[in-house]
Amino acid sequence: MDFSNLLITALRSLSKNKVRSMLTSIGIIIGVSSVIVMIGIGRSAQITVEERVGTYGKNAMEIASFHTLLTEADAENIKKKFPQVKYTSIIITKSNVQVNYKDRSTISGMYGVENDYFKMKLWPLTSGRYFTDIEMSTHEKVVIIGATVMRDIFIYEEPVGNIVIINNVPFKVIGVLSELGESFGGKDFDNVVVMPYGAAQRKIIGNNKIDRIYVSVYSDKQMDEAVEQIKEYLHRAHMITPDSNEFRITTSKQKLEMAEYISKTLSMLLAGIASISLFVGGVGIMNIMLVSVSERTREIGIRMAIGAKRRDILSQFLIESVTLSGLGGIVGIILGLFIYYLITYIVDWPYIFSITSILVSFLFACAVGIFFGYYPAKKAADLKPIEALRYE
Amino acid sequence: MNIPIINIENLQKIYRISEEVSVHALKGVSLKVKRGEFVAIMGASGSGKSTFMNILGFLDTPTSGKYILDGIDGTSLNDNQKAEIRNRKIGFVFQGFNLLSRTPAIENVEMPLFYRGGFTHEEMKNRARKLLSMVGLSGREMHHPNELSGGEQQRVAIARALINDPAILLADEPTGNLDTKNTNEIMNVFTTLNKEYNITIIMVTHEPDVAEYADRKVVFKDGLIIDDSPIKKLKKSRR
Repeated sequence: MDFSNLLITALRSLSKNKVRSMLTSIGIIIGVSSVIVMIGIGRSAQITVEERVGTYGKNAMEIASFHTLLTEADAENIKKKFPQVKYTSIIITKSNVQVNYKDRSTISGMYGVENDYFKMKLWPLTSGRYFTDIEMSTHEKVVIIGATVMRDIFIYEEPVGNIVIINNVPFKVIGVLSELGESFGGKDFDNVVVMPYGAAQRKIIGNNKIDRIYVSVYSDKQMDEAVEQIKEYLHRAHMITPDSNEFRITTSKQKLEMAEYISKTLSMLLAGIASISLFVGGVGIMNIMLVSVSERTREIGIRMAIGAKRRDILSQFLIESVTLSGLGGIVGIILGLFIYYLITYIVDWPYIFSITSILVSFLFACAVGIFFGYYPAKKAADLKPIEALRYE
Repeated sequence: MNIPIINIENLQKIYRISEEVSVHALKGVSLKVKRGEFVAIMGASGSGKSTFMNILGFLDTPTSGKYILDGIDGTSLNDNQKAEIRNRKIGFVFQGFNLLSRTPAIENVEMPLFYRGGFTHEEMKNRARKLLSMVGLSGREMHHPNELSGGEQQRVAIARALINDPAILLADEPTGNLDTKNTNEIMNVFTTLNKEYNITIIMVTHEPDVAEYADRKVVFKDGLIIDDSPIKKLKKSRR
């Protein structure tokens, strides 16, 4: 008996009991969608972590405050007072600015920084230069652009020396950054315009607030100590009691651990749900196949009488249970991708479409069908033709 | 041609119900059937004729004795070999038709070819169509069993039984569920198959009227053959 005929037979008998087949597949559907969500969340979390580490740089920490304003003096003093500090940079950010050159325009992320920012991130230039001390102190309207911005609005022209309009303010391009590429999540690291923080404050944002200060230390071992010391120093300098926790310092390591913890916990939870529901789904399939075998004893008898061998009956019922679990798997994959998309949308994580996870979970669903369908199929195949035919 | 298509000698079947109780269903039956014969098997229920038919059809194994069908020794075969012989050498027609419901007539007829293997889709369809027209069901190929009358269903079953050119056609009370009109129709199909296509038919029946269509009558009682005689064709021209 050839495969296509077996498949048709299986689909026909499953469609006879549509509701029953559907209910039976629910366990598999939930199981498979959990697998999809689990793998997806795991990857998204991993990429989110990579991105964060990417924006921070190595051995870096981010200082932010609740109410008190950070000052330029804070940044300077941190660098001066702590020998383990390698680089510091004030960071001013705005997620969307419009950048125009001639008749072309693009939307980019804006960073107002100090030169240390590029060193912290190990981000070299492909042409031009970094900011001069005079440009920094006079809040000069100069800008270093990312590779994407160059491609989008300069195309074949040389950007360095030209004027771009950023949110209606003209800036002179003095450098182009090398390409960092895209994160797996689709975040483009190169779609940025970077300018002296003073220029960003005054010309783009319109106030003198300092959002954050990035600090990096020489070695990983110095991190924890540096965090404590800087925190204590800041509270003292601003004359705030230390237990108010006014200044928040997040290290790249902490962020990494947090994201890893979340993704691990979620994965474990989902792995639990997935294995339980796949098991329950499998038992459901076994149950329904046993019912099906006893309902169709006479059919089995007829098939045996006209020449079906043991293996024909075995494969007929196995294919039926695999079809059942496989279809459940397909529905589960669709549902899982949808749920995964929703989750990434809500928590703003990258959505990663992975054909491997789809294939793996589909094969897993089929494996459940084979494993739990084998016993009923064997029961059917072991029937004696004469008894099966007599069965009422 | 003189070699019998069925050669049975001293066939016995004992059903062991428990340690102490056993039923001696066949107590030593011998029968030879020639190619092209039409044999009616009669007997009360419990006479052993059903057991005999099951063994004849390779659905059951004898406890002892010899059974040779078309040159094949039927006493020492495994399940797969028996399935193959059922598929290739035997066509079954049952009292309850035993068609697969929700499967069109033509697919019911094709089914034995699927299990035999080695046919293209087209070949199977063509053969099935030819047989359906032979039993007078042209144009009903796509009808499901529940859309056909009892007589028509039985004709589908006959077409199915014939699709592998079997050595014998085994009919177990083929008209038991049919009214007189349909009974006559089915028996005429059998007669045609037997006379025009030289198909060997062995048929169990309770009804003497139906048995009249056969050439030879074998009567079972208490696990033995008590009568084996030719039927005089008085009603040959009956319609």
